[in-house]
Amino acid sequence: MCSRPRGFVLTRKDARKKILARSSGAALLLFAASSCSTLQAQTPPVSPVAAPVYKDYVDEAGRTVRVPQPVQRIVSLAPSLTETIYALGVQDRLVGDTDYCDYPPDAQKKTKVGGAINPSLEQIVALRPDLVLVTKSLNLIETVHALDNLGVSSYGTDPHTVQEIVSSTERLAGVLGVPEAGAALGADLERHLADLQQRLSGLSPRRVLFIVWSDPLISVGKGTFIADALRLAGATSIVDSAQDWPHMSLEEVVRLQPDFLVFAASHSDSGQNDFDVLAARPGWRGLDAVRNRHFAVISDAVNRPAPRIVSAIEDLARQLHPEAFSTQPDDKEKKIPPPPPPLLRVLDSSMQVPAHLEVCACAL
Amino acid sequence: MRPLTLSRLLAHCAILSAILFVVVVIALKLGAVPVSLYGLGHDLLRVLFRQTSQLSSEYQLIIFDIRLPRILLGIFVGASLSVAGASFQALLRNPLADPYVLGVSSGAAVGAIIALIIEPHLALAPAVAALLTPIGAFLGAALTVTAVYFLGLREGQIDSATLLLAGIISASFLQAIIMFFMSTLTGGNYRGIAFWMMGELQTQPPHIVSLVLRFGFFLAAAAIYTTAADLNLLLAGEQEAMHLGVDVRRVRLVVYIAASLLTGLAVSVSGAIGYVGLLVPHVMRLLFGSDHRILLPTAAFGGAIAVVVADTLARTVVSPSELPVGAMTAIAGAPLFLYLMRRRLA
Repeated sequence: MCSRPRGFVLTRKDARKKILARSSGAALLLFAASSCSTLQAQTPPVSPVAAPVYKDYVDEAGRTVRVPQPVQRIVSLAPSLTETIYALGVQDRLVGDTDYCDYPPDAQKKTKVGGAINPSLEQIVALRPDLVLVTKSLNLIETVHALDNLGVSSYGTDPHTVQEIVSSTERLAGVLGVPEAGAALGADLERHLADLQQRLSGLSPRRVLFIVWSDPLISVGKGTFIADALRLAGATSIVDSAQDWPHMSLEEVVRLQPDFLVFAASHSDSGQNDFDVLAARPGWRGLDAVRNRHFAVISDAVNRPAPRIVSAIEDLARQLHPEAFSTQPDDKEKKIPPPPPPLLRVLDSSMQVPAHLEVCACAL
Repeated sequence: MRPLTLSRLLAHCAILSAILFVVVVIALKLGAVPVSLYGLGHDLLRVLFRQTSQLSSEYQLIIFDIRLPRILLGIFVGASLSVAGASFQALLRNPLADPYVLGVSSGAAVGAIIALIIEPHLALAPAVAALLTPIGAFLGAALTVTAVYFLGLREGQIDSATLLLAGIISASFLQAIIMFFMSTLTGGNYRGIAFWMMGELQTQPPHIVSLVLRFGFFLAAAAIYTTAADLNLLLAGEQEAMHLGVDVRRVRLVVYIAASLLTGLAVSVSGAIGYVGLLVPHVMRLLFGSDHRILLPTAAFGGAIAVVVADTLARTVVSPSELPVGAMTAIAGAPLFLYLMRRRLA
């Protein structure tokens, strides 16, 4: 292509033509741009539903959100929020969720708006939601700004501990207009957590390695709600990182010698499988926990800041401290419901709802 | 080379703008939410006749507030990258030069990310803070282009192979820095690594940034166009151009600054979309010849068309999820790069 240009002399006339041509081309584009911008000005974003009543809430990211009342059409942009909506019993108002919203199985049948990071804005708008639910740890601030610009209300949650998951659920129930359901669910979760603390009191915590991902090896930092969940289950993470999802080196793990490896799996068999794959890798034999097959497999509900995490915590506590569950606690026997069945059994028949959710459904 | 006439230039631009218009209409029709062509035409006519109150509100929101702004963004990003690519190719006398291949896009991304990091520490008015990212991206692009230029010199002359290697290595170094920033910024809630490495057009920039993008494009493109005739002579070589009376230093300065500005602006709003600046100028050269006075405006139109098409594919192929638009341009661009490289070596 680098051929030498032939017969090429720039005259004054040419130059004038050149400028003329350029500006006409530019004018064409400018016209396109300006006509479109006036067009936008004529059609300001309107709220998809002309609801007359609004109520202002401050969400957990500190934004003031105008929420149309009542909230009839909800879009959830996070699996944890979808689960919370089902736990609150308002799934009929959920009109859309993400590709990753797989629990309960009914959530898979809802209209999909894409992933949590890259949802389709137009699909969300087409669902005419009163409120879009987002969570700060998963969704992008750009998505929230884009929804703002389109006049779509969005409410953000941001729980960092199990306690905050409970209070966040209760607050969300208030925003959705079902405070009683939120209070009942919250009280039930609190009751389970209190029972657990009573059973585990006096026991020394197990030192565990929570495995988020095995290749590369990723665990959880101390600031995450998962680390908090481990604490409540009578365990303490050997990882002391300020990062939320630290990459771990195997030699560091061998040096720290965890008592237990903890896997989160959608199915108990796959957790077992994860352990076998890991144990077969060179170097992992150096871990006492691997040699003694000290590992726990819990539901991947522990990865989601939603009410179901409490049953995953109970399940982990059962596996790490079986002795604490051999007897009923001495006092308050009447108030405390019988401990829910281990989650692993529940997982095999996926249509079944975890025990505490059933309790909640009864309360409603 | 055929002599340039105004009518020929206008004819080319008219053809390309007609194609662009058709592409825009198709892009407006396609998406996660089905919109009928009839309904779209109806609504477009109503908008033209200023009867906006009669639009169905859903169409209005989806077509005019989601798809159209995104298409406009794609037009400016594509035109910017393509004009930047065409001018880099001329200035470096290397047909494989492109903001992405040379690492300039990655440099702009690093600049933009650094601006994002320092922004909260400076108490700035929101309008100024929004402009910090494009400014950072421009500085990143300018620094990278300077570095790659000097790394590409061999005995005082630009050497094609050295320059390309310098660009590719710089790009991978800068991408590692992007990875580092994005994985250490926990809880920052920034756009992901995919955005900065592959590019996407989903997020509308703040209004002030859109304005700067548009005016910056016209300013920088006009500046490059003033050197179009000189770029033609530069194709023969820097020494030769100098003998023919070209002020090579001035041309180089103008084009580097303007092309860095174009790249920086595009990257700050869309991330690093690759290969547009490589592919489009080549296609335009095949179609309309290598006279830069025609190549630069046609490349602008071509870049706009290419990015709008790529983005339409990106948001429809796995709808309602989306692919990064850069994945689409790379699928078309990388094989073309290899083809051009082989042909050049043969």
